[in-house]
Amino acid sequence: MANAKAEPRWAMVIDLQKCIGCDSCTVACKAENRTPPGISYNVVTETELGRYPHTRRTYVPRPCMQCDKPACVGVCPVGASYKGPGGVVAIDKDRCIGCRYCMAACPYGARSFDFGETYPEMTGFDTVQTPEYGVDGGPRTKRKAPVGTVRKCTFCYHRLNRGEEPACVETCLGNARFFGDLNDPESVVSRLAASPRAFRLKEELGTEPRVIYLK
Amino acid sequence: MTTATRVSWYGALGLLLAGGAAAILYRTVNGLAATNISSLMPWGAWVAFYIYFVGLSAGAFLLSSLIYVFGMTRFEKVGRMALLTALVSMVVALAFIGLDLGRMDRTLVTLLRFNWMSPLAWEVRFYALYIALLAGELYLAIRHQESKWLRILGVVGIPLAIFGVHGGTGTIFAVVKARGMWFGPLFPVVFILSALVSGTALLTVFYVVRQVARRRPVDGGLVADLGKLLSGFLLVDLGLFFYELLIPALSQNPHEAEVLHVMMSGRFAWSFWVVQVGMAFVGPALILLSGLKKSWKWVTAAAVMVVVGIVGVRFNIVVPALIPPLLPGLPTGDYHPNLIEWASSAGIIAMGLLLFSAAAEVLPLDGGAHHEA
Repeated sequence: MANAKAEPRWAMVIDLQKCIGCDSCTVACKAENRTPPGISYNVVTETELGRYPHTRRTYVPRPCMQCDKPACVGVCPVGASYKGPGGVVAIDKDRCIGCRYCMAACPYGARSFDFGETYPEMTGFDTVQTPEYGVDGGPRTKRKAPVGTVRKCTFCYHRLNRGEEPACVETCLGNARFFGDLNDPESVVSRLAASPRAFRLKEELGTEPRVIYLK
Repeated sequence: MTTATRVSWYGALGLLLAGGAAAILYRTVNGLAATNISSLMPWGAWVAFYIYFVGLSAGAFLLSSLIYVFGMTRFEKVGRMALLTALVSMVVALAFIGLDLGRMDRTLVTLLRFNWMSPLAWEVRFYALYIALLAGELYLAIRHQESKWLRILGVVGIPLAIFGVHGGTGTIFAVVKARGMWFGPLFPVVFILSALVSGTALLTVFYVVRQVARRRPVDGGLVADLGKLLSGFLLVDLGLFFYELLIPALSQNPHEAEVLHVMMSGRFAWSFWVVQVGMAFVGPALILLSGLKKSWKWVTAAAVMVVVGIVGVRFNIVVPALIPPLLPGLPTGDYHPNLIEWASSAGIIAMGLLLFSAAAEVLPLDGGAHHEA
């Protein structure tokens, strides 16, 4: 039951009617999390439905679903991935062996491997890392994790800790994204989650995602 | 073996090893960026070869158990060789999966940390136990063939090889509900059967090649018996393969059907039709079920086809299931091994052949309690 002292159950609601496919969430995410080339914690998928002249383009932003029953966590042979505080699916980059089993197991394609690539044109790209999961990573070097390990969206856990919303939520032009605590029945996300428009991706797999879409 | 044969054999292995060492060095310096692996296609050739060699090992070991557990002495000539093959194949398999780790420096973490939910965590431990058991069994088969421990280890090894080592390796894939054709309870069983097929075939090839290379007579009766075993295993494997294709094809369940579509008509459909169906299944089945099976040369040809064909089977397990997009609008995967992956794979396989050959030179592999060489 909701309880002021209980740990929050962080969740995100994305209203697909408001998403215009501008990709600014993806850009904000890359800037906030300083993700290297080839890694984007958030993407916006585009699909075209129907046949001409009755066509429609739909955009579905895809961060990590932060599942309550994550398929990725169960398969990790060394327990490097786990449900962290607030229900965020976390990766211990200092334990991950880079076997990529979690990437094969995630039904949403939300995990990426850090191949160690960098943006040479961005001076100082590697001098500082975003403190993912609240841990200061120091400079990014070729032989040090997270290089050689698996990375993913953290719900901007480092921002939550200081009372801010994830970067994608804050930046969204159309205010399509909402963020909050499902343990608080009066929160915006709790109320939107009860909407008849609410659904989750691949619900049939039983992963219980914490990202809820409004169709 | 004549000096010329020996020089050319070890020379060829040396070349492959040198190329492999260079590729592995390059991969170590540059990380997995040196490969064609991507975030979209997280597994590739090394994982395919890993399950291939785990399968060869389990199959070869189970064949040895026919002799040391079930007393089928007519296979005794290949008993010690089967154990050596199983041991070396396992070393090769672990070399492949070790090389595949993003953090090779954390290999030991796999033994220090444990997640009981993960089939891979169990596998690492089963592999370690299994290697110890194989080494013990090989030692006993050479030094103390009358020891009751030979049979005891063999008995313990059967469930370990079936459920722990290769059924377990199938389970790694079978639990992945995100991917069509992997997910499902048939998969571990298919792994066990294809292990028996490939292991029996490899032993047949090794036996004949060793006899021919050393200019010794090939025991046609033994090869015919191995051929009968192979055809039995192959028929059951074919039956499983049939249902593996039939159910998705008839149900048109989208997850399975789209993987089948990639496999049968994608960029690498030839590897399905020619290597997997042709070389691993139909070709050898035609030889082994026809009059050709009376000739040890034809049986050996069938065995060679199987040994090569199962490589295609392994690639078609790993790669096609990763290709279809996980969500509409996500990119479609694309993968083929690059030169670094091929050269390192050839090098690791050459290392296995070198280990096997060197051991075969010094160990009395041919002897047995009932057949002294």
